[in-house]
Amino acid sequence: MTNQTLALLILLFPVAGAILLAGRGWRLPRIFTVIIGPGVVWASFVCVLALFSGKAHGDFTYWSWIKSGSLDVPFNLLIDNLSIFMCLVITGVGGLIVTYSVGYMEREDDPSYARFFVYMDIFIFSMLLLVLAGNFIFLIVGWAMVGLSSYLLIGFWYQRHSAVVAARKAFVMNVIGDVGMILGTLVLFVNLHAITYAGVFKAVPHTDNGNLELAACLLLVGAVAKSAQLPLHTWLPDAMEGPTPVSALIHAATMVTAGVYLVGRMYPIYDVAVYAHGAVAIIGAVTALFAATIAIVQTDIKRVLAYSTMSQIGYMFLAVGIGAYAAGFFHLLSHAFFKALLFMAAGNVIHAMHDEQDMRKYGGLWGQMRPTSISFLVGSLSLVGVIPFVGFFSKEQVLGLAFSKPNDSLALIVWIIGAATALITGFYTGRMWWMSFWGKPSPQRPVEHPHAPGLVMMVPVGILAVLATVGGLLQTRAFGSFGPSLVNDFLAPAVGPLRWEGDWSEVVIGLSTMVLATALFLAAMRIRPWTAYVPWAQRLLERKYYFDEIYDAAFVRPMDAVAGFALRGIEEPVIDAAVVDTGLLARAGAASLSLTQSGYFRNYVLVFVGGAVVAAVILLLRASS
Amino acid sequence: MSTLNIGGSQIDTSWFLLLSAVLFILGTTGVLVRRNPLVILISIELMMNAANLALVAFSRQLQNMDGQLFALMSMTVAAAEAVVGLAILVDIFRTRDAEDVDDLSELRG
Amino acid sequence: MAIAVFFVAAAMAVLGGIGVISFHQPIRSVLSLVVVMLALSVEFLLLSAQFVFAVQIIVYAGAVMVLFLFVIALLGPARELGRGRLRFQAWLSGLFVLVLLGLMWAMLQGVQYRQPDSKADMSLFGTVQAIGVGLFTTYLYPFELTSILLLVAAIGAIYLSRKRIDDL
Repeated sequence: MTNQTLALLILLFPVAGAILLAGRGWRLPRIFTVIIGPGVVWASFVCVLALFSGKAHGDFTYWSWIKSGSLDVPFNLLIDNLSIFMCLVITGVGGLIVTYSVGYMEREDDPSYARFFVYMDIFIFSMLLLVLAGNFIFLIVGWAMVGLSSYLLIGFWYQRHSAVVAARKAFVMNVIGDVGMILGTLVLFVNLHAITYAGVFKAVPHTDNGNLELAACLLLVGAVAKSAQLPLHTWLPDAMEGPTPVSALIHAATMVTAGVYLVGRMYPIYDVAVYAHGAVAIIGAVTALFAATIAIVQTDIKRVLAYSTMSQIGYMFLAVGIGAYAAGFFHLLSHAFFKALLFMAAGNVIHAMHDEQDMRKYGGLWGQMRPTSISFLVGSLSLVGVIPFVGFFSKEQVLGLAFSKPNDSLALIVWIIGAATALITGFYTGRMWWMSFWGKPSPQRPVEHPHAPGLVMMVPVGILAVLATVGGLLQTRAFGSFGPSLVNDFLAPAVGPLRWEGDWSEVVIGLSTMVLATALFLAAMRIRPWTAYVPWAQRLLERKYYFDEIYDAAFVRPMDAVAGFALRGIEEPVIDAAVVDTGLLARAGAASLSLTQSGYFRNYVLVFVGGAVVAAVILLLRASS
Repeated sequence: MSTLNIGGSQIDTSWFLLLSAVLFILGTTGVLVRRNPLVILISIELMMNAANLALVAFSRQLQNMDGQLFALMSMTVAAAEAVVGLAILVDIFRTRDAEDVDDLSELRG
Repeated sequence: MAIAVFFVAAAMAVLGGIGVISFHQPIRSVLSLVVVMLALSVEFLLLSAQFVFAVQIIVYAGAVMVLFLFVIALLGPARELGRGRLRFQAWLSGLFVLVLLGLMWAMLQGVQYRQPDSKADMSLFGTVQAIGVGLFTTYLYPFELTSILLLVAAIGAIYLSRKRIDDL
C-alpha cells in the first residue's frame, strides 16, 4: 500500500460513506448508519496514522484534469507535515465528534438520521480535500464544498425558519470569501503562471511585490470569511442554530480554522507581502478582543462558545500574522481539543435539558451531572489558559512570541490586545461555568433530574478531556526553554522553524497573565460584568456592536430593493409578458382563424371557387406575358 | 385552325368549349346557391357532364382516343360518387326533412 | 345541317341547365338534368364519339338519374323554403361565377389549336373497336381500378344505408 494510494484513500472513505448512506442508508436499519457514518471517518484516521508513522512526504499527481494553453491543472495531493497535521486533527477530532453525534441525534427519525451523517461525511471529505489539495483550484473546490456542507448542516432542521435564515447567511458570507479566493488565485496565475503550490512557491521570489500583496489580500478575504473574523463574522453566532455536534466540528475544530491553514500554507507569499501579513495579525487581535467582550453578556451557552471560538481564532490569526506559524497551528490543535470538548459537554447538558440552551435556566448541574461537569471544567480551564492544561501552553506560546518578537512594534501592540483578551476570556468563561454548573438549580429548569448521557456521548468527551489535560506535554517549550516541542519540530519542514526565541521575561508575563485570568474566572462567581451597571454599554454588547444592523441597512435592504425592482420592473412586465403574450397571441390568432371554420358547406365551396378564380387569373397572366 | 369537319360542315371547336364552360358555370352556381342537398348533388353531376363534353371535344380536335376513354372513366367515377353521396344523404336525412344543407353545420369553430 | 343540330342541342342543354338550378322542386331539377344529358349525348355524336353517346344515354341518363329519382321517392318531396342563413353567399357566388365565366372566355380566346391531320385515318375514330383497343391495352390498369372503385362504392352504399337498431 503505497503512500500515494493511502493519500487517495483518506479522501475516498468519507465520500464512499456519504454515497452509501445517501443511496441506501435511510432505508436500512439504523445500525448501518451508526457503523458507516463514523466508521469511514475512523478509516480515514487510520490511513492518516499510517502516513504519519511512515513519515510520508510527497506531491502525488493522480491525473491531469485541465490542460488548456498555459493552464495545467492536475488532481494532485500534497503530503507534507502540515497537511498530515491538519488531517490528524480533522479525522481524529472529527471522528470523536461524529461518534458522539450517534448518541446526540438519536431522537431524529431514520431518514433524517442518515441525512445527518451523509452531510457530516461530505463535510469531512471537503475539509480533507481542502488541506490535502496540491494546487489552488482544488483548494477552492474544497473551500466551496466546506461552505456548502456548513450550509446543509446549519439548516439541518430546515423546518425551523431561524435555522434556514442562519444557513443562508453563513453561505452568503462564505461566498464573499470564495470570490476573494478565486480572484487571489487569478492574480497569482496571471503573474506567476503557475497553479500548483510547488509552481507558485518557486516563482514567488521572482515576482513583483505589488502583485503578491494584492493576491495575499484577496486570499485573506477568503480566510476572514471562512474563519469568521471581523468584518465577515456575523454568521458564526447564528450558525449555532445547527445541532451541537455540527457546532463542535465545523464551527470550532475544523472549518473555521481553514483560514489559519490558508495563511500558514501560503507563508512564502505572506513573508514577502508584509502589509497583508500585518493585516492578518491586526484582524486577528481586534477580533479576539471584540468577540471576548460580546461573550460577557450572552445568555445562550452555545453563543458564548461561538464568540469564544471567534476570539480564539483571532489568537491563531495573530500568531500566523506575526510569523509564528507553528505557534498558530499548535493553538489550532489545542483549541480543537478543548473547544470540541466544551461543545460536546454542553451538548450533553442540552440533550439532558431537552434542548434548553439558556444558561439562566440551568444551575446546580455539578451535583447531578458529575462527569460532564468535570469535563466542562477541564475545557474551561484550558480555555482560560491555566496550567497544566493544553490551553495554557498554546496561548502563552502565542502571546510570548508576540511579546518577544524583536524589532516589531506591531507585534507588541497585538500582544497588548491579546493579553487584555486573555483576561476577559477568564471572566466570561467563569461566568459561563458558575451560572450553569454551580449554585442552586434555577426554578425555571425544564428537567428536574437530568439523565446521564449514554456511553457513546460520554466516551468521546472523556477522551477529549484527557487530551486537553495532557496535550500540553507535546510542547512545554512554550513555557521556558526546557521540555519537548514536538509540534514546532514536526511542522518545521512545512512552515519553517521558529524564527526567534523568547526569554525569561516571557515566562513571567505568561504566568502573570494566567494568574490574572484565573482571578477573573473565580471572581465571575460573584461579580456581574461592569456593563450591567452601564445600560448603553450593555445594549451595545447585546446587539453585537450593531454589526448586524449596519450590514442589514448597508447591504441587505439595498439588495432587496434591487431584487424587488428586478422582479416587478423587469421580470414580470418584460420577460413574463413576452412569454405569456406569445401564448396569448397564438391563442388569439387561432381564435380569429377558427372563424373561417363556419361549419357551412356552402361557405367552403365558395372559398373553393374563389381559389379557382385566383388560379385562373394567374394562369392567364402567365400565358399572356 | 380549330374547325372540325362535322357532317360536311365546318364547326369551330371553341363553340363546344364555350358550351362546356357555360354548363360548368351553371353547375357551380347551383352548388353555391341552392340549399337542397339533392339539388346540390345534381349540380355536381351537371359540372361533370360539362367536363366530359370538353374532353370529347378535344379528343376530336386532337384526333386522339384518350379523351373519350377519359370521359368514360369520368362517367364511371361520377356514378360511383353519386351512389355513395346519395347513400350518405339518405342516411342523414332519414329522420329529418331534407330541406336545408345549412342545418348540417356542427363541425364549426 | 350539322350546325343547326349543334345549336338546337346546345340551346336545350343550356335551358336544361338553367332549369336544374332554378326549380324549387327537386323532381323537376332531376328531369331537367336528364334533358341536359340527352342534349349532350347528341353533341357527343356530332363529335364522332359513338360509344360515348350510347353510354351517356344508357348508363348516365338511364341508371344514375334513375337512382336520383329513387332517392327522391324515398325522401319525399322537399321544398326549399325561405331565405338562407348565409348573408353574403348569394351575391358573392354570383360575382365569382361571372368572373369565372369571363376568365374562361378569355382563355378560350388564346388557345392555339393544333392543325388536324387531314390525311389521318379517321374511319375507326370513336368506334367500339377503338374504345376496346384503348381500354384493354393501354389503359387496362385504370380500367381494372375503376371496377374496384365501383365495388367499393357499392359496399359503401350498402353499409351507409343499413337499418339502424335505434330506428323507429
